[in-house]
Amino acid sequence: MEIQSNDERAFRQVYEQVFPILMRVVYHVTNNQDLAEEICQEAFIRFFDKGMEFATLNDAKYWLIRVSKNLAINQVKRKAREMSMVDKLKKYPATGANHSDGSQVLMEKETRKLVQEAIDQLPEKFRLVIVMKEYTDMDYKQIAQVLHISESNVKVRVYRARKMLESILSQE
Amino acid sequence: MCVDDELLNTYLDGELQEPWRTQVQEHLGYCNACRQRLEQLRALHQKVADAVLPDSEISVRQERVLQYFEKNRFSSSNKKMHIFRKKIQVRLVPALITSAAAFVVVFIGAFVLFGNNSQQGQEILPGVASQIDSAHIRQVTEVQQPSLDMFSLEQIVQHLDAMGYAVKLEVKAVTPLE
Repeated sequence: MEIQSNDERAFRQVYEQVFPILMRVVYHVTNNQDLAEEICQEAFIRFFDKGMEFATLNDAKYWLIRVSKNLAINQVKRKAREMSMVDKLKKYPATGANHSDGSQVLMEKETRKLVQEAIDQLPEKFRLVIVMKEYTDMDYKQIAQVLHISESNVKVRVYRARKMLESILSQE
Repeated sequence: MCVDDELLNTYLDGELQEPWRTQVQEHLGYCNACRQRLEQLRALHQKVADAVLPDSEISVRQERVLQYFEKNRFSSSNKKMHIFRKKIQVRLVPALITSAAAFVVVFIGAFVLFGNNSQQGQEILPGVASQIDSAHIRQVTEVQQPSLDMFSLEQIVQHLDAMGYAVKLEVKAVTPLE
């Protein structure tokens, strides 16, 4: 089944299946939902406007993940440059504010936040691999295809990323 | 020799190939420490995986971005609208002209067919039809203001006489005979 990216029907089909995956990857890489939405939209705009042909749905998916991943990394780098110390100081006190409230939902939210902040601290190449591993259904081979790296490289990065996450999360 | 973390992670992800997979499995069968370590890694994986952005957060954004494409990229919905509008425009104008013409024809036809039928008129306006005769008609335009031209000399003299005036009539430039 060939996919023409600017054909409305094909686009809708790809969009339906890939948007949630893309949104998850970009969100967990950028830690910002609004930014993730913008990046996903931009990736799909490029996908549509370029009018490309893909042999399979997976090929279209890999292309979209690759493009949005690059956009996300660029954004993260730009944000990091723009973010002043003042902003950082403003941001951090809010993080641990509601620890006294012991409800289950809040605990889960807090855990999610802690995990996401831990992911945020990973160097880019580990962050990308672990996000794809944990938040999409892609296996090592597919991740390797998206990132244009070897499968054994993916394996090593997953292991190292987990090691770092374990260390960061155990400190908190 | 125990299994290292890298191998355990690969095993955990179901990515370890044979024959290593079976070897690791066998080792886990009798090595408590490695089993515990595997469980720790599994717990960590679960904790990280549970922090996934929930579907509820995604669906709103997915819908919103799709609306952007429906508005700005998908031509078919726009084209459909245009064609639809054109059809309305093309069809509506002649339809209006036709209906106007039909109305005129029906209107005139009604007058031609029923306009001279007095009986019909009486049926429609029974009270009015009987009252219209010459006695009730006054031609207003012919009623004029009274002036002296309307009366003869005799009438004028008589009128003045009746009012007590003594009137002596003379004709100019005529002298009475002696």
